[in-house]
Order: sequence, then structure tokens, then C-alpha cells
Amino acid sequence: MSGACNDPKTFKSDLKPIWCPGCGDFGVLQAVYRALAAIGRPTHEIAFISGIGCSSRIPGYTTVYGFNTVHGRALPIAQGLKTANPDLLVLVAGGDGDGFSIGGGHVPHAIRRNHDLTYIVMDNQIYGLTKGQLSPTTPKGETTVTSPYGSFEEPVNPLLYCLAYGAGYVAQGTPADLPGLTALIEEGLRYPGFAFINIQSPCVTYGDSEMQMKEQRAALRPLLAEGHDGSDRIKGMDLAQQYGRTLHTGVFYRNPTPPPTYDQLVRERQADQGKDQPDRRRALDRFAVRH
Amino acid sequence: MINDICIGMAGSGGDGIVAAGEALLNSAAAAGYHGMLTKSFGPQIRGGESSCRLRISTQPVLNPGSELDVAVALNWDDFLKFGSELPTDARSIVIYEESAKTPDGKLPLKIAPGEAIAVPIAAIARAHGGDRAKNTVVLGLLSAWFGLAPESILAGMRKRLKKKGPEVIAAAEQAFQAGADHARANPLKTARLMAPPAARQGVWLADGNDLTAAAAIVAGCDFFGGYPITPSTEIMQTLSRDIWAYGGSLLQCEDEIAGIGACVGASFGGKRAMTATSGPGMSLKTEMLGLATIAELPLVVVNVQRGGPATGLPTKLEQADLFQACYSGHGDAVRPVLAPTSVADAFRVTVDAFNIAEEFQTPVIVLSDQEISQRKETLEPIDTSTVQLVERRRPTPEDLAGGYKRFKLTPDGISPISHPGLAGGEYLAAGIEHNESGAPASGGANHQRMTEKRIGKFAPLLKRRELFLVEGDADADLGIISWGSSAGICREAVQTVRQEGLKVRILVPYLLYPVAEEIFSDFLKGLTKGLVVEQSYQGQLYRILRSFITVPNGVRPYCRAGANPFRPSEIVAQIRALAQRSVP
Repeated sequence: MSGACNDPKTFKSDLKPIWCPGCGDFGVLQAVYRALAAIGRPTHEIAFISGIGCSSRIPGYTTVYGFNTVHGRALPIAQGLKTANPDLLVLVAGGDGDGFSIGGGHVPHAIRRNHDLTYIVMDNQIYGLTKGQLSPTTPKGETTVTSPYGSFEEPVNPLLYCLAYGAGYVAQGTPADLPGLTALIEEGLRYPGFAFINIQSPCVTYGDSEMQMKEQRAALRPLLAEGHDGSDRIKGMDLAQQYGRTLHTGVFYRNPTPPPTYDQLVRERQADQGKDQPDRRRALDRFAVRH
Repeated sequence: MINDICIGMAGSGGDGIVAAGEALLNSAAAAGYHGMLTKSFGPQIRGGESSCRLRISTQPVLNPGSELDVAVALNWDDFLKFGSELPTDARSIVIYEESAKTPDGKLPLKIAPGEAIAVPIAAIARAHGGDRAKNTVVLGLLSAWFGLAPESILAGMRKRLKKKGPEVIAAAEQAFQAGADHARANPLKTARLMAPPAARQGVWLADGNDLTAAAAIVAGCDFFGGYPITPSTEIMQTLSRDIWAYGGSLLQCEDEIAGIGACVGASFGGKRAMTATSGPGMSLKTEMLGLATIAELPLVVVNVQRGGPATGLPTKLEQADLFQACYSGHGDAVRPVLAPTSVADAFRVTVDAFNIAEEFQTPVIVLSDQEISQRKETLEPIDTSTVQLVERRRPTPEDLAGGYKRFKLTPDGISPISHPGLAGGEYLAAGIEHNESGAPASGGANHQRMTEKRIGKFAPLLKRRELFLVEGDADADLGIISWGSSAGICREAVQTVRQEGLKVRILVPYLLYPVAEEIFSDFLKGLTKGLVVEQSYQGQLYRILRSFITVPNGVRPYCRAGANPFRPSEIVAQIRALAQRSVP
């Protein structure tokens, strides 16, 4: 690593993003650099795991340990990494299709296990890398290349989904408000447990015109301004129902008394079970026949 | 005196027939005999029919044996459900519950046994503690008729029942004695007493899944991720009890994909990781195998094969996942496939799998099977102090000083691998094709070089003759190739026909893939006839060999679908017939 851990530039790699000019993911990347600098841990102590999709290219644009895995499977891979290496700071990233369609089955389990992970989803309501198909968060009725007469399906609500399964930290941001997004990611990284941040990251090429950066900026409704401080989960769920209609940004819920994380419990069990420091080479002794 | 005995027993779930088999094997092992026990159950979750096959010998045994010397039927319905798993012949002694007589009074067996003995097992049990004592009465009968370690059985019984108090122990002893008394009062037409065992220095007893889990601990396994599936689940169960004490950890995941995914993550983090599953799980894990291959991450994947496809036969033996192990997944990918042939082998194969995975930075598949996973077997004590563990090649300070290249093209194709936590080793791992630094690269020349690296790196593995077992006559023109649990059956058959004076040799590959062409070709040199014996309808190893090397026309597959295992006597008959046939 070169450069100071509190300098966002330290986290910027030499790879040039493949994203379209104006893509919201550029802003997300900036926010990640800044949030990591605010945390200030060295690059080698950080791992950034992603699935497949436009947004999942993001680890390669950072200087931390990155793993651009397979479609929808970033969370299980990140959990294995974090369980086995609890000292690492682990970020997970993907798109709405990666996280809530092909990988949707992993999300509840990641939440209930409560590893200390920060999961950011760049939600653009479209499959961008495959050029414009219906995604799990595409609004009903929308025309896409695979719903040319309009979609029949209700979209998934990622916020409500994660709140319902009991995630300890659930927030929504947008690159249209970069300082706000940076703060949300930083807070997610600092939250001791599973943190989910849904990011309304516009797709300039295939996305809805109402979801572009300029339109988002005009539509922003910060939760704090609505008097929601994030400590009340039920109120957070109530507000989250407006996903797709009102662009709320900020923290829907942050557990004021975070329970122990999976990684902590693993360490406790290892300490408890391993207090006699058994020798691996003696692991076969129990097969000896004795009467 | 006899040196070897095969006993098959069947009853209803509550009869405790499997427990009796286990007690007998334990006692025989404690007395110094070699032996093994296979169990088989009906599809019911609880109750239903259950059976076991027990082989006890004064010599090491390689398989559960041929036709039964002794069959015990607590009722005929249950016994007959096991069909070919409990075969009797004209030599067998059949012991059956007297009240279980068929309406016409005839035995429901195709071949009349050498001796059929009706015993009022239930009545004797009722006089000594009730229905639950039936299995103890059976132990008394077997012990007296066949001279099987009575002191050892009693000692084992006392130990097992210690917590239940002296009254329970006394009742069990009475039931055992009552069975033994009945046997002494009704001697066999021809006495068949087991010869005493030779003195031995320690005996071990294990089943394949349990030994695999313990071997993983010895092999330094730090992480296990998995999902329950028959017949592999006991591996996860054992590790979920034991792994923490060694600083390791485990995730029981939401599905098979997450199970292997978690292992890929742990391996990326520098840890030795393993998952275990069976065929349906392997199908789901396939994409992750490709990821581990292209990201060059070490990983051990145990597939305890069962009958397939789809749900297939979850509790029965088949060796039909070899094609899948070698060829599943898209793209040009090679991954090593190893197979144990016995419970004892499960140790070395598991350790080898970890070492090969770490050395070559690759997923390694271990093809165990239902038979090995579940059968209990006596083993010679294993000396773990001599086990060598291979570590993945770590980057040197020079490698890390400025521009570390994770996928550096080296002469042997193996690049130093860093892991999160190591300063200066930061890189991008990816499922996407990449250049030496790890950056995504879609050019044809780079893809050619990287594919060559990922496949070429296995060249030294193909020279490892210790991953192959060759026995028998170097000058024979008849040869056998067999793998997995079928190999133990063939090895005994080869020993038998060689004692009759036939010249035969056998090759047992522990490394099935990549195909060690030279080693197989060397073995086949000079053979004009032979058999490739495996429990799969298509004869998968035979077909794979044909696609890589020239197999003599006279070497043919001898194979069938699962759940109907080969017996040594059957292979002996095949070899004898083949030996007499002239090959043009």
C-alpha cells in the first residue's frame, strides 16, 4: 500500500472503470473511497467481495483485497471469509439483480447470522451488463427489453426485505447526495453486525429517466428531516413501504443495542472449546478400541 | 476351525439388530480380530426394517465379503427386503425366529441353505428381560455357535450398560447366557468355530465419514462450510463438534451453493477449507468449482456418492459420479479427483487432497461412496506423527515489493498466493479471466496462456506413483482395474485366484483425474484381457480411460448400476472365466 489510510486516493486503483459515462456507480465508488479513508484501516486489512454485474466490478477499482466472484454469491463467500478471518473489514457489493434475484436466497441467512459485514447494493432497477432486462426492482408496468409491453411483476422492496429479516442497520442513499452517501457507508462499516445500504444508483443507458441524478436530487427526502432518527424499527418499516414512490435517504433502522456478531460468537466458542489446546495430531486417538 | 465369517442380520427397527452387529464388531475388534460392519436401512425415518452385515476375520479384510456364512432373520419380511445385500447360498447357516415360520413351512429362500435352525428367540428373550433382549439373545447364540469372543462381548455389554445399573447388566448377562445355552444344547451339524486371533498391537475402529472428519483435523482444516445431505452429513456433524477446539470454524449454510461459497471465501482468506456433500449437492456446487479453478484457490470437496441421478437412491452405494467429478462445469478446467477404497484409505486420501489442493492451488474432489462412508472397519493404528502437510506457496518479500502479481506466469505454473491480512499482497481475485496481476483481461493470447498455466500445473501430479496401487503378477496377461469401494472386492478376488495359480495383476488408482496416462498405459502393457470393475451402469472409468489411452480390446468393463454391490465370489468367477477364454 502506498499513501495514508485516511486519504481517499490511497484506495483508488489504476484500473479504469468499464461503466458508462455518468453512471451512478462512479459516485458510489467515490463514497466508498471516502468512507474507507474515514475508517482509516490499511488496505491489506480490508476485503471487498462482489457478485456479477456492472456494480460488481467495483472491488477492482479499489486497492484493497478484492474478489469479483460469481453471480449472486458474494454474501456466502464473504461470510466464509469473515468467519475464518474475523479481523478483516469486509465489504460486500452487488446490484439489485445480484442481491435480490439470483442471490436473493442468501440475504435472509446473512442477516440472521449477523456477521459483521457491510452490504451495499447499487439498485438501478435494471440489468445493465446484459443490456436492459427486467430486474427484481423494476417498477410494475415498466417496459424493458424483456417486458416490451410492460412488466407484470411487483418489484421486490429491498429495504423492507432486510428490515423484516432483522438487519441491525438498514439505510438508503444515492450518489446524488455524495456526502450523505459517504456518511451512510461509513456508519454501516462502523456498525458491529450486518449492515445493509441500498443505493439508488442511476443507470444512464437503460434506466428510467425519473431516476437520473438530476431528478433524484430534486426528489430527495432525507429521513432526518422527516423526524426519523432510525432507532425505531417499526417506524423504519413503515417509511420503507414508500420504496419506489418516495426517495427517502438516511438510516431507516440502526439497532441501538447491537447483539453479538457471529464472528464474536465464533471466537468465544474457539476460546472455550480450545482451552486445553489439543494437538491436531492426536485427533485420531479416539478410534482406538478399548474395553 | 474357520478364519473368516460373514454374518447378515435383519429385523424391525426396534429389534436392535444393528446395535447387536456393532457390539459384536467392537468385541471382536477388542479381542484382536479384523472386521467390518455395513448397515442398511429401509427408507423410513424411524423404525422400519434394518439390517447389518458383519465380517470377522483373523486376517485383514478388504470388503464386506461374499455370500453369507450365517444369516439371522428375526422375521422374513424384513430380511427379504434387503435382497442382494444379504445373499445366502447352499453353504449358509440360516438362523431364524421360530414363530416367523412361513404358512407352508418352507424357507422363503431361492437356494436351500446348508443348515436352517429355528430358534425361539423372542420366547427366550421374554423369559430374560423382554422383547428388547432379542438382540442380546442373538449375540449369545452367535458367540456360542461360532466361538466369537464371549468374554469380550460380556465386557463390552457391562461397559455400555454401566450407567443403567447392576440390575440391567445382570438381565443382559442372563439373556446372553440363555442364548449361548440354547446354542450349546443344539449344536450345529458341522461345527464352525472361529480360530483365535493373532496378538495385535492396538486395534482401531472407524467409519469412513468419521475418519474423514478426523483426517481433516490432522490435515489442518481450518474451515468447513456445508449443508446436510445423506450419506455425507456425519462429516459436518463431527466437525461441528470438534473443529472449534483447534481454532477452526464452521458454517452450516442455507444451501449447497453457500456451503462451498463459504469455503471459497475462507480459502481466499488463506485458510484450509473443506466441504462435503453427495451427488445432488455436487450438481449445485459446480459453478463454485469453476470459480475456485480460475481464481486458483485451494479447496477440498468430498462427494460421498449415492445412487443417482437426482434424488436417486440416497442410502445406497453407486460409483456413478465420476463423469461429474471430472467433467462438470463449463470451460476448460481440470481438477484433481481422488478416491479412497476403504475406511482406512479415507485418512490418507483426505490428507493427500488437502496437500494437493494447497500445492496446486486448486479444488480437489474426493469421491467417497456410501459404503465407505457408513461402514465400520477395523484399522491398524495410524501414525500421524509422520504426516507431512504441504502449505500453499506464499509470496516472498521480493514478490511483494512493488507490483505483486498474484497470477504470475512461473515455470511450473504455480504462482505465489497472498491473502487478505498480508500487507503488500493486495490483489483482485476474480471469476473473470485476468492477467498476471489479476486485472480483467479478455484477449485470446492471455486466455491461452492462463488456461495453459491452470492445466499445465498438474503435470507433476501425473507422475506420483504413490497415488496408485499395483498388486499381482507383472508377467500376467490378465489384469483388473477398479476404484473406490469396488477395489477392495477386486483385490480379494485377485488374491483368491492367484492362490489357485492364475496369473493376474490389479491396478487401483487413488488419483482418477487428471488421467495419469503413463501409469495406466504401463499397467496395461502386455495385457490381452481384463476387466475394469466399477459400480456404474455406463462403466465411467473405463470410458474415460478409452478417451485418453489405448485400452486393449480384451480389457472390458464389468459394471452395473448401484445398490447391488459386487461380491468377491462374483469377481472370482469372472476372472476364472476370463482366464479360460482365449483372446484372438
